[in-house]
Amino acid sequence: MYDGQESAAVDNVTISISQGEYVAVLGRNGSGKSTLAKHFNVILLPDSGTVVVDNMTTSDDGLIFDIRRTVGMVFQNPDNQIVATVVEDDVAFAPENLGIPPSEIRERVDGALKSVGMYEFRKHAPHQLSGGQKQRVAIAGVLAMQSKCIVFDEASSMLDPKGRRELTATIKKLNQDGATVINITHFMDEAIEADRVIVMDKGRVLLDGTPRDIFADRKLLEDAGLDLPQAAALADCLRQDGLDIKSGVLTADELVEEIICLL
Amino acid sequence: MLKDITIGQYFGGESFIHRLDPRNKIIMTALLMAAVFVSSGFAGYGVIALFLIICYMISGIPFRMILKSIKPIIPIIVFTSILNLFFIKEGDILFEWRFIAITDSGVRFAFFLVARIFCLVVGASLITYTTKPMELTDGIESLFGPLKRIKFPVHEVAMMMTIALRFVPTLIEETDKIMSAQKARGASLDTGGLVKRVKALIPVLIPLFISAFRRAHDLAVAMECRCYNGGEGRTKMKKLRFGFIDIIGAFAMIMLIAGIVVLNILGVV
Repeated sequence: MYDGQESAAVDNVTISISQGEYVAVLGRNGSGKSTLAKHFNVILLPDSGTVVVDNMTTSDDGLIFDIRRTVGMVFQNPDNQIVATVVEDDVAFAPENLGIPPSEIRERVDGALKSVGMYEFRKHAPHQLSGGQKQRVAIAGVLAMQSKCIVFDEASSMLDPKGRRELTATIKKLNQDGATVINITHFMDEAIEADRVIVMDKGRVLLDGTPRDIFADRKLLEDAGLDLPQAAALADCLRQDGLDIKSGVLTADELVEEIICLL
Repeated sequence: MLKDITIGQYFGGESFIHRLDPRNKIIMTALLMAAVFVSSGFAGYGVIALFLIICYMISGIPFRMILKSIKPIIPIIVFTSILNLFFIKEGDILFEWRFIAITDSGVRFAFFLVARIFCLVVGASLITYTTKPMELTDGIESLFGPLKRIKFPVHEVAMMMTIALRFVPTLIEETDKIMSAQKARGASLDTGGLVKRVKALIPVLIPLFISAFRRAHDLAVAMECRCYNGGEGRTKMKKLRFGFIDIIGAFAMIMLIAGIVVLNILGVV
């Protein structure tokens, strides 16, 4: 519980995320989603209850760095998470902290930069990059730790549409390569990419299910301060105008399909 | 306009001097300073100047950069040489008018001082022109490493320097933005007298500070997430290497100092 706050920021939350899953966490400002994320890698400790990461309990002092290298985090502001003045030096920051031998750090850095498509920018200064590119450098910094799980804490909220598309594509690729992904976001169109959506409200889990199940209940979503994804919202409007569009439409492609069927 | 400011004054290149170990360059610069102070005659300064000119030619730094580094200290040079010119009363009087007297040793000393400051600034600039800021901080961290024994936070200081360098362009950009925002609301930042202008900066500085503190907090959390735990047990991807070219560089510097000492002993003016 935060000082001066009446209720706990996160309360009575029981969730379990399995390896390789792609989970989106939605919720309005102050719903506790970022606070929840900070429990995943021991930035915060719960007042009561436990958090277990890969069979390690976060309250165990001796495991802090093992947990932090297992769960990497990418934050909202791309500028505020880059430490070094050269891209490759920044990616090397985490492995350097872990005391890994120099030749292996070099391998990891090159590998990480290649897998986010930033290898040719390795000698650049961070301020020469766009927001989307900086976020990909931040992701490379996490990959160089060889984390099994990557948490994105509103990582796309300060990016332009192009940067956001780049980021969404990178996240998807990481998940396909086997990483567990937890994407905390404000954008419904990002959430539909996930296997599973968790909706938080007032520090509790309101909904937990597949995107198709979650976005079926417009009323409940609006109570939680959320919208439908664009295509689903349009489908809903058309349905209310009496068009015969089946429920559960999520993406633009599906909507196009439905409309073509009607014509 | 604020964006024109570059961090440090690194001037890229792959020359012999660029490739020297930064630790070696720091020591060599210190030795050069010592040589400048040890030299007691103009011949010595001639040798140092020649040495510096050769260094600049090897490093491929254009000579206009020398002028650029000297420009800001011209007032100091002029001021100190004038002081010396008028206040040294020893030696033969060359020129006298009422209470002003210029002596030959005054003139000599004034020229001496100009030569000294000149060599110091041009020599010190060379290291910043040819060494990346990050290499410099790495070099400083490594050179001052032994101070850890007396509990001096060497790693922390080097890390602070790195982060400061990293955030200079970010904060400059932010200052630009805040200034535009304040101007858009009618603030006049570049009119009026000095006092008025300084006062007008307050509404720029306050938001800048608040945001800098926020950034510092975010960065600290991000560093913790990446397992930062101080300098203990840390490795480096790029290890500094004292190689063959460093031996050549050090040898050249030793020869220079030996030359200056010989000139001093022989009493060549």
